[in-house]
Amino acid sequence: MDVLNQLQRQYTDFTALLYREGFVDDNFTQVQKLQDESSPDFVVEVASLFFEDCEKLVNNMAEALEQQDVDFKQVDSHVHQLKGSSSSMGAARIKNVCIAFKTFCETQNRDGCLRCLQQVNHEHTQLKTNLQALFTLERQIVANGGSIPVMQ
Amino acid sequence: MESGAVHTQQQEEEKQKQQKEEEEEEKRKQQKEEEEEEEEEHFHVLAVDDSFIDRKLLERLLKESSYQVTLVDSGDKALEYLGLLDSIDNVNATSSSQSPQQECIYGEIRPGLGTDIFTGMKVNLIMTDYCMPGMSGYDLLKRVKGSYWKDVPVVIMSSENIPSRIRMCLEEGAEEFLLKPLQLSDVEKLQTHLLKSPEKYSSIRIDDSSFNTESSSNITVSSKSNIASKRKALSPEIEERRPKLKGLAVV
Repeated sequence: MDVLNQLQRQYTDFTALLYREGFVDDNFTQVQKLQDESSPDFVVEVASLFFEDCEKLVNNMAEALEQQDVDFKQVDSHVHQLKGSSSSMGAARIKNVCIAFKTFCETQNRDGCLRCLQQVNHEHTQLKTNLQALFTLERQIVANGGSIPVMQ
Repeated sequence: MESGAVHTQQQEEEKQKQQKEEEEEEKRKQQKEEEEEEEEEHFHVLAVDDSFIDRKLLERLLKESSYQVTLVDSGDKALEYLGLLDSIDNVNATSSSQSPQQECIYGEIRPGLGTDIFTGMKVNLIMTDYCMPGMSGYDLLKRVKGSYWKDVPVVIMSSENIPSRIRMCLEEGAEEFLLKPLQLSDVEKLQTHLLKSPEKYSSIRIDDSSFNTESSSNITVSSKSNIASKRKALSPEIEERRPKLKGLAVV
């Protein structure tokens, strides 16, 4: 099997895994659909923006949760933002953590919030690593003169 | 003899130079007209969302469908863009006097046609997120509907599917309520809202038999794209008087 074929196979398998494991969902497919020749780096750009935003929000949440008197409304608004952007991005696991996170904010459960924050961090790192691997595969496929397989 | 010949040659050269200049001027004018026509032919959407990822996605979606897009990150910025920030009711002050420049370009102009009388700026559609810090999409909707932009369709977007919220927005005059994340098919659907009342949005964009236009040009908007085919060119005089659009795009 030649290099290109191998890469494309790898790509398809890896993508399938990401969906299967719930790292990404259908919304991510929608984002990918928006990429074309006029906007060839669209997904990478959006992903970078998302991860930057995620980090910022996580820092804000951490700060808010460190206070003596936690302003849960503040934390909740950050979580709401993250929930929205992770949903738009198709970052399913992060979005799901946010749903639980919101509940803890509403019940003003500091420990619960801190646990969720940790989970968000964890999922963020994992997704970032996974997507970076995906993008690398894409670049390699293109470099070898192939086209990126389309997800069914 | 010689001086006579030289004189003619000079004249000849001058004439040629003049001709060439005129040709280039004509070309430049044509190009400018074409660019402006292109600007005019695309529907202009004002998109309001506090999430910059959503703005990025929306921008891509809209541009993919050939819309012109202006993005702002808050209701206040949207009002500022629309000239509504100083809650003075501009409608009464200006509805009586029609500025001649508007008459020439747009034919019949009335407040609420989706075009600002002062700047000639046009907005064909407003899309706003519902949940935003400060002014919500619903508040923005109310402000717009209570202003001279009231005839511009407003679409509300939300990540939450709450029937009472949807009802409230539709009752307040929202054209459509879309669930996020938006898809290309959602955006394509919006075209029908834009084309619903053609005479309201531009008197020269769409061929409507009820109009008494001098030119018999057939202007049609295909259902596939929202780009109107060529309309008659503006006269240079008018071009000069028309102010340029000043975008406040913030991403």
